[in-house]
This record gives sequence, structure tokens and C-alpha cells, in this order.
Amino acid sequence: IAAMLKCVMSGSQVKVFGKAIQALSRISDELWLDPSEKGLALRSVNSCRSAYGYVLFSPVFFQHYQWSTSVKMNDTDMMLNLNCRLGMKSILPIFRCLNSLEKNVEKCKIFTRSDKCKVVIQFFCRHGIKKIHNVCFQESQPLQVIFQKNMCANTLVIKPRVLTEALVLFTSSQEEVTLAVTPLKVCIKSSNEESMDLTNSVYSEMFVGPDEFDFFQVGIDTEITFCFKELKGVLTFSEAIRAPIAIHFDFPGKPMALSIDDMLLEANFILATLADEPSRASSLQTLCLSQKQKRSEPIHSNSKAGKNVTSKVPEYISRKVEPKRLYSNETPTNISTLENCGSPLMKRVNGDISEVPESSVSDTEEVPGSPSLRKFSCMFFGAVSSDQQEPFSLPFQSLATASDSEEDMNNGSFSTF
Amino acid sequence: MKFRAKIVDTACLNHFTRVSSMIAKLAKTCTLRISPDKLNFVLSDKVANGGVSMWCELEQENFFSEFQMEGVSAENNEIYLELTSENLSRALKTAQNARTLKIKLTNKHFPCLTVSIELQLSVSSSSRVVTHDIPVKVIPRKLWKDLQEPTIPDADVSIYLPVLKTMKSVVEKMKNISNHLIIEANLNGELNLKIETELVCVTTHFKDLGNPPLASENASQDRNSEQMAEVHIDIRKLLQFLAGQQVNPTKATCIS
Repeated sequence: IAAMLKCVMSGSQVKVFGKAIQALSRISDELWLDPSEKGLALRSVNSCRSAYGYVLFSPVFFQHYQWSTSVKMNDTDMMLNLNCRLGMKSILPIFRCLNSLEKNVEKCKIFTRSDKCKVVIQFFCRHGIKKIHNVCFQESQPLQVIFQKNMCANTLVIKPRVLTEALVLFTSSQEEVTLAVTPLKVCIKSSNEESMDLTNSVYSEMFVGPDEFDFFQVGIDTEITFCFKELKGVLTFSEAIRAPIAIHFDFPGKPMALSIDDMLLEANFILATLADEPSRASSLQTLCLSQKQKRSEPIHSNSKAGKNVTSKVPEYISRKVEPKRLYSNETPTNISTLENCGSPLMKRVNGDISEVPESSVSDTEEVPGSPSLRKFSCMFFGAVSSDQQEPFSLPFQSLATASDSEEDMNNGSFSTF
Repeated sequence: MKFRAKIVDTACLNHFTRVSSMIAKLAKTCTLRISPDKLNFVLSDKVANGGVSMWCELEQENFFSEFQMEGVSAENNEIYLELTSENLSRALKTAQNARTLKIKLTNKHFPCLTVSIELQLSVSSSSRVVTHDIPVKVIPRKLWKDLQEPTIPDADVSIYLPVLKTMKSVVEKMKNISNHLIIEANLNGELNLKIETELVCVTTHFKDLGNPPLASENASQDRNSEQMAEVHIDIRKLLQFLAGQQVNPTKATCIS
């Protein structure tokens, strides 16, 4: 029996669904469809692993929602989810003119099965017109991120319009924006780094008073810098569904979360933030792994509970996590740690670092350091299944780790997206 | 050197924004000259084969409710700043519904024009402050002579232009056929825009345009009012000028 998904939406629901896809397209060129009993999740992660998006449509969002896992009748008797990854280039054009879709589409049906290789999207439009799109998918286990957003020291909830007004100030040439908070005020400004180096860029700043927020909690005074483009995508989505947007964050270097909670859907976008000083390496987690599976690999070998996705994982982790290196204040070491993580140094490098060669882990000491390099902390995605206790003791608290898509994280304090 | 100015009137602010957008469309870098009574935007393109120069003058009283400046010295009470035109126009565009706009010359690590905007909040009666620091370069006094008001040469013919939008759409279509445009005008209020290629010749005629009063009497007496004076110009440069026009002029004069 194959894993399957079948759902039906009305025209206006299609518009919201399409807006979610558009927001996720700002993050990456690939989209996972991940159904579960919680609903249909859309996930995407960017190639440098510094941004992750997740939109979960609850079953009641749809007119009809049906899904199932497949059951493999072999020795492991595993339940396998639909591991469906689509290219944005294929799916985005289908949901392009959302206003006209909303007007013309009476019903939309999305159907797929893991043993077929395509997702079928049918639009039943007015005047008896029926449009059918077949989109091929690749089998790939989706990544998940565990992020304790409720444990963040700072939480701001605001109507998207205010942030949109702020973003108008910044030119598209500036990639990053800095959010600085104190209990008394919030400042959104151009990232300092850029204006120092280039004497031609305009530095802009804007203050927002605590009373403009729907919820305002600032536990620690902090300034975080993150990518602008991803924020814009989330804002557009939140404006479309007219829901306020919540920002959860702590100190620079630790990822931040942008989330939207509506009765029918839940969206979370986890973005990396610029680390302050090289010595802040303690906030950098190093479990930067890919879960990409090749189609040829048999599915069951990677989904077994108690076993990691790839046999490389344990080695990778244990080599990386050497407390001495991570806590070292020496810049060279930190750079190398980051390089091994594949996180972009200074500028965003969109290389696909999904497979970090093992050899790169070992050459660490001689990397020439540059003073005060600012780097993005990288997100960590790895396969961690419930059975596995951390075999290596991580000296620092894991802030966001990945799990595979089964219900393996039963630790209550973690929220899995 | 000091400079601070404030705009409180929405119409003045919009007009100023449009002037700055027009400048931004014409050239990447421009010079801003600040003197006690005026603000000038100067572009001087010293390209060998015909560049575009521009001199734009604004009476500061028409725009600013407050205006204070102190030039380089008492004898040279002026400030010349070089800046990227787009930076200013973009900053001004964010001030669409502003209550007040303040501009001042500051020095934050390097000289800047700081534009400070007080925006009315849509929800409450309170306001929000937005600032932009635009980096500028102070132009030394020895270079000022190149940035003076150009003298308009004695002309054979001066004529009022037709509605610029019409002219722009005509010239835009012509651009696809030829790189050079011939402008002909006479003292009878007639203007022709002409392109000539091997295969085709296209002319658009404008009549009854009117001519401004002539500067020098001598030239007019000798001239047959029907006789056309003509110039050849680069179409793209003309289009750049026409496309940039955002400020609706009461009169646009073409002199050749």
C-alpha cells in the first residue's frame, strides 16, 4: 500500500495555499509536501541552510483532507510517509495569478501517491473548464527543524502592515536588516556592516514604539541581523491571511523565528541571524547535514527508528563536536568550524553544501583568520531519531536540530515544525 | 559648514521629491549646491561626443519653511556636495505622507545628508520618525568653477515645445528606426522632429507652438520667419531627458 495524499479546496482556499507557496519560494527552489494527521505541511529550506520555512494547513482548512502512510510488509514493518519534493519552478507557475484563481476556480483537487511519480493538481473552473497539472516529484525525506520558540527571551507580535512600512525604507541593494530591541523601543535599521564598508550606501533607521505591537516582551536587549528577502516573503503571506506575525528571538547568532498562527494554519519561518563576534561560536550548532536521499536508495533503510539517515552521520557529528574547538576564541578555528558547516562567510554563498566531504572536517588548524569576521550561524538539520540518545555529549544546548519526519521527538518541551 | 532645512507642506514635499526623481533619472551622480537663497542640482557630463549637462534651480523659500546654511567661508558662502542621485530620491519617496521632513548636513564617520522624516501613523495619532543618512562628498572650492550656471548661447531660433508627453511618445517610436533625430524649428511656431534612414524618412510636424521673445534683436531681423534651423541629436539622450520629466513645466523652451 502506498502513502497517499488527497485534498480538496475552494477557490479562496487556493489563494491562501498559493500565497504560502509564494512565501516559501523566497526561501528555496524546492518544496516538500508532507502530509500527516496534523494536516498538510509545506516545507522548504535554502541551499545554505540559513532559512527554513514551514506552513501547516490543518485538516479543517480543506474541504476534504485524506492521507495515509504506507506500510511496508517486511521485517521492520515501518510506516512510511509520502516523501514528496517538488521543484518550485514547476509548482510556482501553477499558483501564479492567485486573484484570478480565486475568482475562477470552484474546486481544486490535489492528489498524489508515493508509488506514482507525480502530483496531480486539478482545477475545476467556471464554465465547465477543467485544468489539470501533473508535476513530477522526487522522493526525498523532508527536513524538520525543532525550535523552542516559546523559550525565546524576546517575543514581539505585530500586524504585518507596520513591518511592511518599515521595509519600504530599505533599498533592495541591502540584503540584511537589523532589529534592535530594548524594553522601551524597537529599532529597525540597515545592517551596520554594509554602511561601514561602502561609503555609498544609505543608512536608514526607524523606531517602533511598544504600543504598536499586539504583544511585546523583551527579556534581553539585543540586536539581530537577518536576511531581508525572506522576511518580505513572510510578510506578504501574513498580510494575505490578515494575521499578525510573531517574532521570536534571543541573541545574535541564534536563529530567529517568524510565525503566524491562524485557526486553520500555522506558519513558521526560522532564519539564521548574524553572529556577533567570532567568539560567539558557542551559539553555532554544527549538525549541518543533508537528508537528501537519492531515489535509488531504498526507502526503508533510512526511515527505521533508531537508526540515522546516513551512516555518515555519527562520524560527522563526533568529529565536529569537539568542545575545544567550538569554545576556542581563536578566529581561525571558528572560521573552519563554520566552513565545515558550510555556512556562508560574510556574504551569502549559495552553494549547495548538502554533502560536506569528510576530509574537510580534519583540516582546521591552519585556516588563516581574519579579524572580526561576521558570519551567519548555520541551521542544523540532521537525522536524529528518538531512540538515539546523544552518544557524544554536546557541551552546549542544542538549539535547533533536525529530526526525520516521523513522530520521534516526544520530548514535550520541543516543538517540532 | 552647516546646513539644516525643514519642509512641512505636503505639496512642497511632493514637488521636491519629484524634482529629485527627475535628477535621478538623468544621471547617477549629481552635485547639490546650497546657497542662502537657492538650492541647485547640477549635472555636468564631460563626455567627448556630446554629454548632457543640466542646471536646476530651486528658490529655497518656495519649498522650505526653515532654511539655515553656513558655507565654506564668509566670502564663499556656499556648499557643494556630490551625491548619488538615487539615494536622495529614494529617501524622499519614503516621505510620502510625512508630517515634516528635515534635511541636515551631518558627519557620522563621513559626511552625510541626514533626511529625517516624521510619519503620521495610520492607526493612532502619534508619529514615527524615520531617518536616512545619505553619504555625500564635499566638493573642494577649486572645482566650483566647473559647476556654475551655464550661459545660454545666442540662438538662431527659440521655440516653445509641445506637450512633453506627446513629444516623448513620438520620439520613443522613432528611436527604433534611427539613432539620430533632427529637430527643426522656425520663428513661426513650427517644429519638426525628423528621422532619416536609407529606407525611410519620418517627420512629425507641430504647429502653432509660439516663440518666446527673442533675446537679441539683430538675429531676428535678418531671419526669415519660415526658415528652419536644424540640429542633429542623439535620440537616446533626448529620450532620457524626456523620460525624466516629472515636473510639469509651464514652459519648455528649445533653443538652437
